[in-house]
Amino acid sequence: MDATLVAPAKEAPREGDLAFDRLYKSSRDDVYAYVASLVRDAAAAEDVTATAFERAYRKRSRFDPSRGEPRAWLFGIARNAALDELRRRGRQAELTAEPADLAAVPAHESAEESERRLAVSTALAGLDPGERELIALKFFAGLSNAEIAIVVGIGASNAGTRLHRAMTKLREACDGAV
Amino acid sequence: MEPFEDDRLVAALESLRPEPRPAFAAELDERAAGGFPRRGGSPLRRLTDRFRAFEPRRALVPAGATALAAVAAATVVISLSETSEERGNLSLNSSGAGSAGAGKQQASPARSGRLNFDGAGRYSKGSNNLYDADAPVAGLAQNSSSAASAAAEAVPQIRAFSRPIERSSGYLTRLRAHREIERSAQLVLGTEPDRVRKAASEVFETVHAYRGIVLDSSVRDGAEGAAGARFALMVPSARLGDAMADFSAIGEVRTRREATADITAPTVRTGELLRDSRATIEGLLTQLAAADTDAERAATEAKLRAERNRAANLRSQLSGLKRRANLSRVQLRIESGAPMTSSEGSGTWGVGDALGDAGRILAIAAGVSIVGLAVLGPIVLVALLIWLANRARVRRARQRALA
Repeated sequence: MDATLVAPAKEAPREGDLAFDRLYKSSRDDVYAYVASLVRDAAAAEDVTATAFERAYRKRSRFDPSRGEPRAWLFGIARNAALDELRRRGRQAELTAEPADLAAVPAHESAEESERRLAVSTALAGLDPGERELIALKFFAGLSNAEIAIVVGIGASNAGTRLHRAMTKLREACDGAV
Repeated sequence: MEPFEDDRLVAALESLRPEPRPAFAAELDERAAGGFPRRGGSPLRRLTDRFRAFEPRRALVPAGATALAAVAAATVVISLSETSEERGNLSLNSSGAGSAGAGKQQASPARSGRLNFDGAGRYSKGSNNLYDADAPVAGLAQNSSSAASAAAEAVPQIRAFSRPIERSSGYLTRLRAHREIERSAQLVLGTEPDRVRKAASEVFETVHAYRGIVLDSSVRDGAEGAAGARFALMVPSARLGDAMADFSAIGEVRTRREATADITAPTVRTGELLRDSRATIEGLLTQLAAADTDAERAATEAKLRAERNRAANLRSQLSGLKRRANLSRVQLRIESGAPMTSSEGSGTWGVGDALGDAGRILAIAAGVSIVGLAVLGPIVLVALLIWLANRARVRRARQRALA
């Protein structure tokens, strides 16, 4: 991953755009997955994802490589956009859109796999929002613990501990369901 | 179903990952290729987005340049206004050496174009009243220093300055009638070394002719440059203009500077204090006459002595002030040889003047900067506090939204 989004203007004026384009291509689906798990609404997730990339594009010159990887920076923007959407929804009305159908059954899946997916989905829905966010960042977005720490605004070791705790809780919930 | 092991749990989680619709992905790709053009929305939303994308570091250079330009502009404006104020103060600093070959200045007003300065503080050329130097503002001082020729050139300027003043002459006349003006003058004359002594005697004659006083004098002979004379004179203020004209006729006028200071306020105040003191003395005398006991009489006499001392001091102060108004101090110097090249009063603009001007401009610029900071500092501080408070509020709101 490129450590910078903006190259010095004298060297290559469009290098910053190219770097952002690479970041966009490598992160588009991850950002959507993370945002969808937070807002739990497909239409809102699309809107928030677009907003997040738009904000990141406008702020790309403000990216500071010394403060972390570009992906962590991008997911921080996406997180703020998603939370702003949740705030807006909270101010306007209760959630009226349907939650994303995370447990939709693919056609080729066996019954046991479907059952397992449903159990995990149910257990995931029962976690605290903060724990669910950590799991989404780790397994939907594919971030490292250090990147998660930057996105959430906690220490790296703290992020690892909290993630481990969330996974243990999720496993226990799944085992209970089985 | 088997229990959840780590790899199976992870696999199950990854299978739950939401995927974007292909149509949305394609639309977003298109927008990314176009540099994420702004979507429609309310003007407020667009403004907010612009504000959020605002980068303080990028604004530093334009902001600094703007501030610098503002300071420079304010400095120029203030300097210009100061200059015009100085002109408005009717300052005649057209000092300078007389033109080469001009030789000795003649006493005739017509030839020398000299400015007469009568006792009422009125400058005139010949019989024409040109210019009221007796400005009605307390504390106002005018400096006029000129070679006679330069003064002649300045006459049209003086006319121009005097016009607005003449329009309000009724008011000025009323004020002037009660004003006490202290005047002083400096004059540097040039002459040949062998004429220094004769010129000095002409100075004495002129002083006596005007019933003035020579406080101090020194005359020295010698070669060109060494020979010269110095005088400290007191001339009746009512005749200062004529006396200065006669002094100017003794030699080549190299520098002429006249100044006035309004001492009406201290004079009036001292006069009032003296009247009060006299009234107090009258009262004490009455009290003394009516005193019954020795102790009462002694106490009243002590008060009377103190008040009489005070009255004497005030009388002395008042007469000093009146003397300052009635007699003008004149510093006169006679030089031989080429005019001195000091920039002070020579009319030439030298290094000293440049340093002085530079210092003045820097002082003005510093003053403007300090005033600007005093105005902008609190505004920036309040804006910063509001920004920090809003940032903390948004952060808390986001955490609540997640929970």
